[in-house]
Parts: sequence; structure tokens; C-alpha cells
Amino acid sequence: MTVFHFFNCAILTFGPHAVYYSATPLSEYDTLGTSVKAAVVYLATALVKLICLATFLKVSESDSFDPYQEFLKALIGFIDVAGLYFALTQLTHRNISQNHKFQAVGLGWAFADSVLHRLAPLWVGARGLEFTWDYILQGLEANANLVLSISLAALGSLMWLRKNKPKTLIPIIYLCAVIVATMPSTTSYLRRGLGWHLPKVVGFELFTSLVMAFISWQLFAACQRPSL
Amino acid sequence: MAMTPRKTRNREMLFDSVIALVFILVACVDLCDGATVVDVYRLIQYDMSGVPFGSRLASLNHHAASLHFSPHADLSRTVLLIPLRELNMSFVQEYIAASKPLGGLILLLPQMFSVENKGGVGSNHDDGSKELLKNVLDEVEQILIHTNLPYPVYFAFEDENIDTVLLDIKKNDATGQPATATTGGYKFVVSATEPKKVGSPPITNIQGWLAGLKTDGDSHQLPTIAIVASYDTFGAAPALSVGSDSNGSGIVALLEVARLFSLLYSNPKTRGQYNLLFGLTSGGPYNYNGTRKWLQSFDQRLRESIDYAICLDSIGSWENELWIHVSKPPENAFIKQIMEDFSSVAEELGFQVNLKHKKINISNPRVAWEHEQFSRLRVTAATLSELSTPPELLERTGGLVDGRQFVNEAAIVRSVKLIAESLAKHIYGHQGKNVQIFADNSNLAVNPSYVRSWLDVLSRTPRVAPFLSKDDPFVTALKKELEDHTDEVNLQREVLDGMFTFYDSTTAKLNIYQVASVTFDLLLLLVLGSYLIVLFSFLVITTRGLDDLISLFRRPPSRKVKTA
Repeated sequence: MTVFHFFNCAILTFGPHAVYYSATPLSEYDTLGTSVKAAVVYLATALVKLICLATFLKVSESDSFDPYQEFLKALIGFIDVAGLYFALTQLTHRNISQNHKFQAVGLGWAFADSVLHRLAPLWVGARGLEFTWDYILQGLEANANLVLSISLAALGSLMWLRKNKPKTLIPIIYLCAVIVATMPSTTSYLRRGLGWHLPKVVGFELFTSLVMAFISWQLFAACQRPSL
Repeated sequence: MAMTPRKTRNREMLFDSVIALVFILVACVDLCDGATVVDVYRLIQYDMSGVPFGSRLASLNHHAASLHFSPHADLSRTVLLIPLRELNMSFVQEYIAASKPLGGLILLLPQMFSVENKGGVGSNHDDGSKELLKNVLDEVEQILIHTNLPYPVYFAFEDENIDTVLLDIKKNDATGQPATATTGGYKFVVSATEPKKVGSPPITNIQGWLAGLKTDGDSHQLPTIAIVASYDTFGAAPALSVGSDSNGSGIVALLEVARLFSLLYSNPKTRGQYNLLFGLTSGGPYNYNGTRKWLQSFDQRLRESIDYAICLDSIGSWENELWIHVSKPPENAFIKQIMEDFSSVAEELGFQVNLKHKKINISNPRVAWEHEQFSRLRVTAATLSELSTPPELLERTGGLVDGRQFVNEAAIVRSVKLIAESLAKHIYGHQGKNVQIFADNSNLAVNPSYVRSWLDVLSRTPRVAPFLSKDDPFVTALKKELEDHTDEVNLQREVLDGMFTFYDSTTAKLNIYQVASVTFDLLLLLVLGSYLIVLFSFLVITTRGLDDLISLFRRPPSRKVKTA
């Protein structure tokens, strides 16, 4: 019954994206085009990141945490932010409100990320006879990633698209954006440097993603108010 | 705002329920390590005169259970994993001998029977339990060889991986649920092709000729003494049948005697006036089939020139006495001579040699000792052995219990001394005199390290004849060794006679998977479905409002109201 298991893990990994699209007003305003464009931008960003990683990083034999390598990886991770900037500001979107724009971009971004990073291992691994918890944890990770992508898109739209922001909130916005952008490095540090096992890491990701989503939602709501 | 605290509470509730769910799922199934792979060795599969014996299947794909299965469970789709220590004869009788249906059987043998285990001078206080296990294994082996089992039977050795798997299986069985597709557990998979018949099982006889001193005329007029040992084995697990005592001890003794006499014969002054013929025969367990073919290939003059032949069979684990088995009556001149030589040397060396006479029944196809094949062709022969009674067919042929640790190399050294001195007495005519040619600390002394190293090699080489190909490296090694010690070596390649048919596939790899039950998958589907529905409702409520959610379910009736 292992195709069954594959099916279960697939709906855990990709279901929330579909549910998010259909449940929120995104489906009413037909923002699918935006999401698709964001996914394409993500693919291009991933390619650029790969080339940079291949050029600048050394292949290390051991699985330990090397601060210099991780710092380089974090820098390259900021290419992600650049890609998101491009998707939010430079692409032509149909007349959709800012509120929905960042959600559509975040959704497309997260969906492309899940497909690229998680579909192949799922297809190859989850259909085997041996049962492991890995694929379910991977699905939960995909969920956390969705929440994080949407929060990052929200913060990004706050930073670059909104002109009048309350002065006091600007540093907080940038701080949150930095935290969310460096999440991959943090999880890598936890896994390699501190030696946490996968369930713990996934739990941490879920927790922080919900916290950051809450914070960015609060910030967004605060910026919606007429200027203080 | 009034909405904010409610949304916060919703978020927190969702978060808590997710954590709780993860904990519940983790508690249901233990985290596992991944698939384990173990080497397993199959029970032999053969037909004797058309009657099938042994394990008839090779591939395996069933759930595993241990001996603690519930009494009335149906085991026809289950593999039983049984350690030898827990095997009792009642189970064997009930299930194996009575041929109850079973999906498969895997016997776990203690490490001490492993081929890599040198054993040796280990713990003495364990000897009692070792003896017990040895006897149990011997009994089980004999039963398994003579029963037709329509399911795969494999042997494996205890190690950490499979021990942990066994403990887990026992725990699961203790809860009373047999492992099936709906309850999860372990699945054992051996992917092997269907066993095929071994077309023409080869037997290869190796003979070495050491020519004696010919004064004038050709050497074939000199009398010949033959020393023969059979080198192949037969056991329940052909990949593990190394036969250290039966007949590794015989082979080693033959090689050492050949070495000693080649030293003596290398100098023309000490070369005796007898030819020596060394024979390593195959087909021993099958009524000494190879020996018969070898003898039939001799020409008449050679056969008539053989004074007598000494066959060596199991001389590795005796304490105080050896037996010489003959089929010609003891009054025969040659037999008397042999006995005199051997017993006088034995007396000097401090042990006893007894004579046993067993008449041959020509109409009975069973050949109990190797010398009987010589006697059937009217050549005087005797077998030197530590056994006092002949073994039955396919018994004591170097099976699972015949390992290196049960052989005593000092016994082999004493046997070599006995054989060499007795032969020398006959060849050089020192009857009645007390001369020691192969004395210790001389350059003709028996070399214990030669004995030990060959014994070690033999204890690591399974030698079941149908599975030794024509160009098997071990046969080549024996040939090379004899070439070192003799003048001329010949190989005779024959095919085993039709009474026995063998099937291949003797080793395999067992894959152990920990599988989740179907109920687990269904449960997971339910959980995920409800998670997605909750997520959907949550998102609709937060972004569009509760009324929208309700209106999703109320749209059709409201249309009807409008038209009315």
C-alpha cells in the first residue's frame, strides 16, 4: 500500500497550496497568472543560486557546520530576496490590490519551491516498501515553507510597494525580513551544528513560521491604518 | 479590535492541535532505522531417484513471526524466524516432519557455527551448552535433509541487526496480533530466481603419482601403495558445508604424508621400491561414486600392481583409538601385514588401533566405506577412521555442525605420524624393528603449521561437488599442491551418476522491511483530509468572513427560493 503512502504525502505537501488558493479571495480575482509568473521567477532565481553555489563554495567531505561556508550560503540566499523583489515590483500584474498581490506571489513562490525540492524525492522514495517518517516530515516542512514565503512576500511588499509607512515600524519590518530570509541558514545550522534530528527541526520551522506570519500580519495591518 | 483576540485564539488552537496530532502519530509507530540486509544460505534442494527432498522454493515475500505466535494462527503466509537456541524437537516434529503449511522458515544459528569463526580454545564453561546446541543442530539437519519442504528454508547467523529485529517481532507477537497486511510489522523479502537443475554435476578426481626406485625394467613392475581421501562434502546448507572433520582431516593428512614421502623420495638413496599413488576423490557422500569411476579408469596392470590402499576418513577428533575397517577377512595376508604395521606403530606412539571387519553385500548399492569400492574391484584396501560404525547415507558428510572448532589438529598430526611410519615400515622392510623415521625435531618431522594452515583453508571452503565447477580454484589449488609433492598429477573429470539431481541457488540476501499497516495509511488519510478541511474553513473565515463559509453550503436552496 505504498502508492497510498505517496498519495498521502503528496496531498500533505501540495494540498495546502491549492486550499489556500481556493479558500481566500485569490480565486475570485483570478490571480492564477500572477502565481504562475512568480513560480517562473523562482525557477530563474534557483538557477542563478545554483551557479553561484557551484562557483563559490568548496565541497566539504564532513557534515559539520563550517561558519564561512554557511555565511557564503546565506549571502547567496539573499538572491532569493532579490528574485522576490523582481517578482513583486517588476512584473506587470493585472489590476489586483496590493493585499492580494503579495499573497499570490508568495503562493506561487512556495509552490515552485515545493515542486522543485520535494516532488522528486517523494516520487522516488515514498513508493518503496520500507516505511519512514521522512516524507511526512517533509510535507510539514512544505507547509511551514508556504507560511514563511507568504510572510516574506508580505514584508517585501511593505518594504518596496508601500510608500507611506509609519516611521517607527520601518526598522522592525526590515528586521523581520532579515530573520525570515535567513531561515534556511538557521535550519542548516540547527541540523549540522547542533545536531538536531529532523522532527525537532521541522517542529522549530513550523513554530517560527507561524510566529513570523503572525508578526508580519500585525505589521501589515498596522501599515494599513491611515498614517499615524 | 474585537476580531484580533479571536483570531489569535484560533491560531493558537490550530497550533496546539497540530502539535498534539504529531505526538499521537509518533506514538503509534516506532521510528525505524531503515531496511536491513542479511546474508542467508538456502537449504539444499535435491532429488534422490526422483523423490524430491529439501526446500523446494527460493524466493520469499511474507510477513515475519517468531515462535511465540498464537496457537491457531494460519502460518501459510508467514515466515518463521527461529533462533536455534529456542528450537525444540516437538516443534520440529509438528511442523517440519508433519509438513504443516508454512510461508517460510529462517533458522538463526549462533555465531560459533559461522564459517569465519575460528572457534578454538574458547570458554570451557560453555562446552556443555555448545555440545547441546551441536546435537540439536545435527538432529535438525538430518530431519531437514530427508524431508520434502514446499517452502523456502534459509539459515542465517545471529548478529546485532537481526537480533534487534527478532526482539521487535517477539514483542509484536506477544500482543497477540499476527503480522499481516492490516497490522504492520516486518516483511521479509528474498528475491531469487526459481532454482534450476544443475545440468551435469561435475566430479573431479585428482591423482598424484610418486614413482619408486626402479633398479631395472620400468616402474610399473614395482608394487604400488595407494593413499586415498575424498574431498567433497554434503550438508543442509551447501554454502556452509565446509566439513572440517569429514573429510578435511583426511585431505590434510594425505597432503602431509605426500610431502613427507616426497622429501624421502627426492634422494635416490632413500627412495623406496614402491610406487605411491595419492588419490583425492570426489563424490564421497554419494556412495563413493567418484572413487568407483577413478578405479574403473585404471588399466589392468596398475590395478594388479596395487599391494593395498589406505583410505582416510575423519581422523580429526579422536582421543585414544582409531579403527581400521576392512572387508576382506582378517586372515588375509595383506590385511594381517597392515594390521601389524599399524598396531606396532600405534603402540609406540601411545594409542590403540582396532580392526573391524564388515562384509560387503554386492547387491546392496549402499557403499559405507571408501575401501569397499576397492574391494569390489578385488583390490585390497582398508579405511582408517575414528568412527567405529559406518555412517548412514548422507550422514556425517561434513554438514553444518562440522566446523573448525570441533577438530583437533594434534589428532591429525598423530594420525599422519601413524600412517607415515606404518607405510615406511612396509616400504623399507623394518618390520619388527623399532625405528622412527619421521621423528620429531628431525627434518622429516610432521609439520603442525602445514597441517594447521591447510585445515584453516579447508574450513573456509564449502565443497559440495555439484556446485564446484570444472575450473574451481580450490580444485586447482589441490592439484598444484600435489604437483609440488609428486612426479605426475592427473585430473579425471566425470559426471555424477543419475541417482542424485541437484538444484542451484544456495545463497541469497534477505531484505527486512518495516512496513506500516493499511490502517495506518487510512488513518493518515483521514487526518490529512480533516487538516485540509480545517485549513480551508479557517482561511475562508479569516479572509472572507463566516457568512461566506455558510453561504458555500446554502447556495442551491436560496436559488430555489428565488425562482419560487
